[in-house]
Amino acid sequence: MATSVSSSLPTTHSVTPASQAELVAEVRAAYDASTPIYPLGGGASLDYGLPAKQPGLGMELTGLQRVVDFPARDLTVTVEAGITMQALTDTLRVEGLRLPVDVPQAAQATLGGVIATAWSGPRRFGYGAIRDFVIGIIAVDGRGEVFHGGGRVVKNVAGYDFCKLLTGSLGTLGIIAQVTLKLRPLAEATQICVVPLAELASMDGLLDWLATSDVTPSAVEVFSGPLWREQLGHAPLAAALLLEGTTSEVTWMARTCAEELRKLASGSMRLIPSDDVSNDWQAFLEFPAAEAALSLKATMKPSCVARFLHGVSEVEPAASIQAHAASGIVYVKFPQFPPGGLSRAVVGNLRPLANECGGHLVVLSNPSGQEMTPQSVWGSLGGQLAVMQQVKQQFDPRNLLNPGRFVY
Amino acid sequence: MSVAITPALVNRLHQAIGSENVLTAHSELIVFECDGFTIEKNCPDVVVFPQTAAQVSAVVKLCNEFDVPFLPRGAGTSLAGGCLPVGGGVMIVLTRMREILEINLRDRYAVVEPGVVNVWLTNALKGTGFHYAPDPSSQGACTIGGNVATNSGGPHTLKYGVTVNHVLGVEAVLADGRIVEFGGPSEDAPGLDLVGALVGSEGTLAIVTKVWCRLTRNPQGVRTMLGIFDSVDDATTTISEIIGAGIVPAALEMMDQGIVQAVEEAFHFGFPLDAEAVLLIEVDGLEAGLDLQRERIVELCKQCGAREVRLAADAKERQKLWKCRKQAFGAIGRLSPSYCTQDGVVPRTQLPHILRRIRAICAAHDVRVVNVFHAGDGNIHPIILFDERDAAQIKRVLAASSEILDECLACGGSVTGEHGIGVEKIAFMRKMFTPSDLAAMERLRAAFNPHNRLSPDKLLPTAGACGHEVKKPMRRAAV
Ligand SMILES: Cc1cc2nc3c(=O)[nH]c(=O)nc-3n(C[C@H](O)[C@H](O)[C@H](O)COP(=O)(O)OP(=O)(O)OC[C@H]3O[C@@H](n4cnc5c(N)ncnc54)[C@H](O)[C@@H]3O)c2cc1C
Repeated sequence: MATSVSSSLPTTHSVTPASQAELVAEVRAAYDASTPIYPLGGGASLDYGLPAKQPGLGMELTGLQRVVDFPARDLTVTVEAGITMQALTDTLRVEGLRLPVDVPQAAQATLGGVIATAWSGPRRFGYGAIRDFVIGIIAVDGRGEVFHGGGRVVKNVAGYDFCKLLTGSLGTLGIIAQVTLKLRPLAEATQICVVPLAELASMDGLLDWLATSDVTPSAVEVFSGPLWREQLGHAPLAAALLLEGTTSEVTWMARTCAEELRKLASGSMRLIPSDDVSNDWQAFLEFPAAEAALSLKATMKPSCVARFLHGVSEVEPAASIQAHAASGIVYVKFPQFPPGGLSRAVVGNLRPLANECGGHLVVLSNPSGQEMTPQSVWGSLGGQLAVMQQVKQQFDPRNLLNPGRFVY
Repeated sequence: MSVAITPALVNRLHQAIGSENVLTAHSELIVFECDGFTIEKNCPDVVVFPQTAAQVSAVVKLCNEFDVPFLPRGAGTSLAGGCLPVGGGVMIVLTRMREILEINLRDRYAVVEPGVVNVWLTNALKGTGFHYAPDPSSQGACTIGGNVATNSGGPHTLKYGVTVNHVLGVEAVLADGRIVEFGGPSEDAPGLDLVGALVGSEGTLAIVTKVWCRLTRNPQGVRTMLGIFDSVDDATTTISEIIGAGIVPAALEMMDQGIVQAVEEAFHFGFPLDAEAVLLIEVDGLEAGLDLQRERIVELCKQCGAREVRLAADAKERQKLWKCRKQAFGAIGRLSPSYCTQDGVVPRTQLPHILRRIRAICAAHDVRVVNVFHAGDGNIHPIILFDERDAAQIKRVLAASSEILDECLACGGSVTGEHGIGVEKIAFMRKMFTPSDLAAMERLRAAFNPHNRLSPDKLLPTAGACGHEVKKPMRRAAV
């Protein structure tokens, strides 16, 4: 019952295993024939990474979508990796629980894909990233060998931590078949406090405030640029603070924000009440997946976000931006492919800036396909790269899993 | 002593890091023959105290050149024998790399050398409004390098997460002597999450020489409660009711009557001596929500049969409660000349069951057990008391311990929540993992440590041998 994924990957044909055993059989057959394999989740981030060149087999994981075990009172769930994020969210909500990791296109995106790309949305500031929630994992390596790490309990240090190793590995060490997650209760109340800001310096002021205020937002989003016209009104940029907790906590935080941030705000602050939150919040979830001529993700020390945003505006004044500002993560959307190409805009300019800011910059998507090399997409990984290659060699000796897309 | 350490190697070590940083006399080596796991002992042939990553690298390169095994050691508080120099060789002790290099509150991280003791960072952060969350009970002695290697937990890691959730990056010396940085001050470094793979690898993949620690904002308020129960069953049911209700307290610890009596004798807190169990429950966060949380917990405790729930009156009383909890192991000496503890984990709903089983198993083997543990995580620490002069009793202690861990596995749990596999629990690896899981783990080790000179014979059962067989239990502290 798989929906076929329209893929930018060079797949000659696709299979949709309906069980872990079928998945293993397919991988073994591909290994014997030395056929490259492209694991496919919901197809939500297939243009992530380098464009693949070698023709190969599309391994659709949407046939693996069962809820294996949901002991809600233990605050854990075990599911097959092809479950969509929406289906997972719906399953958990019934028991008042959630995985506080937001992703764009949740109806399509699969949990396995989210883990493989280490996707973590705005709430990571409050709750942690996806890596912090994966407590057990089963995967199939490049030879078709099944291996698992972790287990079903929230605390466990037996053996090497394959949960971490596979999270963010872009399916290049193993195809993730099943996952156990640690869960959180749903928040009783949620509000968003939107603070219009006149200039980048005010954003810095806001982050300074965050280091001393008792307010504990779950997310601190800063946004600017044409894609945010509707949300921004007349302000050049704005911050949205996601306030979650019990009703009394959220009420207190909203009131405290209003008092403490008044001086920083360039106009009147807006408080989005619980009932309306999901609509407004959606924009913050979908932005990273919005179409653009070039999409970048930069990470840095949070204190450098203002400096980096200034750098972006010098390269492309019409760029749109969303920053998980308190976590030092910035998404940049270019309305047009930069005239100087990736080599000038990214390699020559914004990446060195991110590096100076203590971080990194990767190309998330580049529909033009121009200048896509490991160096231009991922940047230099220094001495780590050789170790990553050694690990890859061990888990996928024939380089069949997502060849040519990741850092090695 | 077991490998051929040539005078040439010793000479070269002297040249590389200075003779004052190299020990070779047996009388000086003897303290390094074991860590908190004292059942197996073996002296390293040489102990070195490097002061920089470059010196660690130089030592590692020499060990490779001379084909000698080597291993890292922090404070040596490990409870699983991670610091045992199997086959002898060179022990690299990191306690002279003890600087806090940077504290950056605005960006919420600190950079420390591996020999920094956990509590030093806590102390350095006092008054800043931030703290380093992982707080193992041994925090006054253990090093952050050791915490990273074992992925340590502590009472407050229930809400805040264990060490791996608080490490942004490490600098490490690889098994061939290369110095490499993984991760750093910012999130989401591109490529594989090798920071995540290194944390908890028990010193078998690389030697950590620098750590970027995440700092956490202090909560606005706390409420600390003591729930008093007439039966262990009621207490364990309460724990699973609290978690089941979707409340994740900052900490949720249990002590049973045996422990409470010892602790009371040692610290005179005023614990009721007739209660079968007490729960130490702490909630933290915004003041606006705390009293409500407290009320819900008190209500759940009462529903489950608590005799009484006391609230710590002030910061002083709270501190005293935590002191009692964290030093509970020190008090056990009052109960018995020797004891051994396990570190199993079960799903939280299985706590009533496992505690009943622990009691039954120990009764069947005629050994005395007391319990003090990280209840909210389902991480049990049954402490079996014995007299090491009684050989027959020792056999029963071992049988009981092993049955308890088997029961944890039968409940869908793990044999170790925070102490690690080390050499102690190698035999359980085959029970928890399939041959292909273990093969995958060997492959990861081979990627980092291809010649297996870095801390050999730890964590993974070696092919052929059936792992490590424990012959007598250990007299030692645990959480
Ligand atoms: C009374 C007591 C209470 C305890 N309570 C807790 C608790 O609450 N929670 C908990 O998790 N643990 C607890 N422990 C266990 C122990 O304290 C922890 O495992 C701690 O992290 C070990 O730190 P250490 O510096 O002593 O490391 P060591 O014992 O010296 O080493 C531990 C392991 O780490 C490796 N290692 C050390 N330094 C490095 C390095 N720089 N790079 C790579 N590998 C390295 C060693 O080879 C060894 O395998 C307790 C122990 C005692 C004695």
